Amino acid sequence: MSTEPTDITGAAGTRSLRELAVHLAFLCCAVVSVLTTVGIVGALLIDAVGFFSNYPLGSFLTGTNWSPGITPISFGVLPLVFGTLVVTITSAAVALPIGVLTAIYLSEYASERVRSYLKPALEILAGVPTIVYGILALVYLTPFLRSTLFPNISTFNVLSASLMVGIMIVPMVASISEDAMNAVPDSLRQAGYGLGATKFEVSTGIVVPAAVSGIVSSFILALSRAIGETMIVVVASGSNARLPAVRYDQLLGLSIPYVHPADVFLEPAQPMTSAMVQLASSDIIGGSLAYDALFAIGITLFVITLAMNVVSELVVRRYREEYQ
Amino acid sequence: MTADSTATVDSTAAGDTDFGEVSRLKGVAFEYLTLGASLVGIVALAVLLGYVAADAIGVGAADPAWFPVVLLALAAPTLGFLWYAARTPDVLDVIEGLSVRVVGGLELAVALVVLFVVTDVQFLFLLYTVGVLPAAGLYLYGRATDDSRVDFPVPLAVLAVGLLAGYLLKGPIDTYPLDSLIGLWMLGVPVAASLGARWRARAGTAVGLVVGVGVLAGAAAAGYGLAAASGLGPEVGVVLALTPGAFLLSYAGEVALDEPVGRRGLLFPVAVLVGLLAGRLLVSALGLAGPEPWIDWGFLTSAPSRFAEQAGLYPAIIGSVFIISLVAMFSFVFGVGCAVYLEEYAPESGYGGMVTNVVQVNISNLAGVPSVVYGLLGLGIFVNLVGLGFGIVLVAAMTLSLLILPIVIISAQEAIRSVPDSQRQAAYGMGATRWQTVKSVVIPEALPGILTGSILALGRAIGETAPLIIIGLPTTIFAAPTGLFQKGAAMPMQIYGWAFLPEEAFREGVLAAGVVTLMVVLLSINSVAIYVRNNYQRGS
Repeated sequence: MSTEPTDITGAAGTRSLRELAVHLAFLCCAVVSVLTTVGIVGALLIDAVGFFSNYPLGSFLTGTNWSPGITPISFGVLPLVFGTLVVTITSAAVALPIGVLTAIYLSEYASERVRSYLKPALEILAGVPTIVYGILALVYLTPFLRSTLFPNISTFNVLSASLMVGIMIVPMVASISEDAMNAVPDSLRQAGYGLGATKFEVSTGIVVPAAVSGIVSSFILALSRAIGETMIVVVASGSNARLPAVRYDQLLGLSIPYVHPADVFLEPAQPMTSAMVQLASSDIIGGSLAYDALFAIGITLFVITLAMNVVSELVVRRYREEYQ
Repeated sequence: MTADSTATVDSTAAGDTDFGEVSRLKGVAFEYLTLGASLVGIVALAVLLGYVAADAIGVGAADPAWFPVVLLALAAPTLGFLWYAARTPDVLDVIEGLSVRVVGGLELAVALVVLFVVTDVQFLFLLYTVGVLPAAGLYLYGRATDDSRVDFPVPLAVLAVGLLAGYLLKGPIDTYPLDSLIGLWMLGVPVAASLGARWRARAGTAVGLVVGVGVLAGAAAAGYGLAAASGLGPEVGVVLALTPGAFLLSYAGEVALDEPVGRRGLLFPVAVLVGLLAGRLLVSALGLAGPEPWIDWGFLTSAPSRFAEQAGLYPAIIGSVFIISLVAMFSFVFGVGCAVYLEEYAPESGYGGMVTNVVQVNISNLAGVPSVVYGLLGLGIFVNLVGLGFGIVLVAAMTLSLLILPIVIISAQEAIRSVPDSQRQAAYGMGATRWQTVKSVVIPEALPGILTGSILALGRAIGETAPLIIIGLPTTIFAAPTGLFQKGAAMPMQIYGWAFLPEEAFREGVLAAGVVTLMVVLLSINSVAIYVRNNYQRGS
């Protein structure tokens, strides 16, 4: 067939022409995904470079004051990084243990029937729009916390935002960790039972350690999702970029500086994503410093989450090699 | 259960009851701890959404007795029927089939009505009549006669010429049929033809003809009847009669003929209606005051307002459906195209293979990029570089498409990968070309998986807010967008706008009604996806 000269006049010609056209059309679709990445990097870089040529990188990274709108304007990113860190760490403290325990239940204890109800129910948690989580935190969770545990909690606060981010990322931790636990060969469990171990001992002493790289990878991905989470923190944690107040306590005649947890959790804060939304919805003009700052934070966020995704991918690859 | 049995074996084998008891307690406690952890998020969300729903319905105004009365009246026949159905899987299947056609049909109807609202229907009519219809006819003729020259290049040429002619004719022609007739022509004829063909295949030409003509006549009658009865336009009536109506009737007919046991499920709607009527009668007989819902017909069909009582979500609903329909088109075409390329065409070894690998890694990385960064992409490329305009529908749709593209690609790839290689080999063995194999073997086999993934991704897109804020979609807009280049609105944006209003009525009632609307739309989209997955996907 390949030795014959190509006939472009008859049916075979139309056919090979059509094959080529289809091939090219599919190729174009694949190119879109590459162009997206190029577009993201390009769009972020151009305006971020514009920003850094007018505002020193050092002051951006180490400045402790973020006030893009009010003079004297100042673009110190540290308060935003602090806000992001607090939300990420708090939500991780909620989601990681819950997620791992859920994964253990799904992979080791749950019957097929329970699993078939529980997994879709958990998937709903991940599918709820984040604006809805934000509203739930602002309108229902914060008043609840105020009337029960923390009478002094602000209307906008870090705690309820973080709790909601935590709930949102539970399914991510649970499903990736569960995959890792399911991939642990059954022979390992049988060996454990053969040695007289109980189900509890097998779960915590054999399955979890054997699946640890997958679990770690799920942690990293979930943290990356928490860092990039926007609407929950925009709605529930306010737009107050600040570092917590440092208090002093007199101890043995020395004044010891410390940060009170209430100043961190019960007060508003502004993570990086929230600052981006605030900048975008204020009436900034293209080409101004504040406009370019939007892209400067954007590229910071992009680099952090990209790095975490790559690390997680590497961890998973390492883990795949062990059992194949 | 397993924990118990292991513990029992443990204690008898060790011959040491104390040790067995202690470890058993620890094991049981741990099992319940893990179960509790699995439930905590679900329960928390359910409780919070319960509060939202209560606020949206306006529970406060209702008589305490209203709820038990209505619940009993509605639930008794419905639950009784479901209890009966639960023991007969065939009946349950039919109930599921009916519900999904209602939900899916209504979704489609809303999308089509929005299309009627936002586009130039007369222009569409021209393009369809002189371009799409002749091309489709030629294509089908080519397929039927197996003439490979007719089934691809000729229809394509006719389509191109027809579309151009439609564009040129738009100026000179100034008389058009009524919108409702256009609806019957553009939607009714294909629906009638496909249902007629279906019935012709199973019951002969006469029945097929009757069904086809019946669908057209029924849609026209129902459309004008509904319009006269409810005050909606006749075109809305036509769309409603065709999308949920015609398919529902056809499905009911097939069930009634094919499934002697399952057809009892067709009585389910009757049970629900009886419950509704009984509830209504009881409430008015007892003189009970009902709740004052924030979410009602007025909320869904009026524009936003400064006053909470008059606030509505209409422009945002239209905007969301408009944007999501565009997103569905863009992301499905490019997502499935990319997945087919990567799975069926891309080189696997050599330098090409390395490029393929890089593209693959790139796609999984794109899936992890925060949505707000996609907003910056839209702002930087579409608004600033291309200059499309700040906060317009087209930019929103393209940005959201790029956002869900990686998810669509990855799920479509999984679906394509699960098509057994033996089927491809069989197609090649019969002399099929690669495209013929892809078109008639791979894609039909993978379609349910592709659809499930794409629909779930659309569900995600409909709730996205952050990228829309970045590209400047307004939070409140008073008229629905009517074109690609107009300022758009979207449900999550309107909800975001309401979140910060100080007024109590907004923060509790209106906001809750908005959240409930969004969640209902989302859940109905997802339920269609789950139905597709459960019913059409081959067991792996």
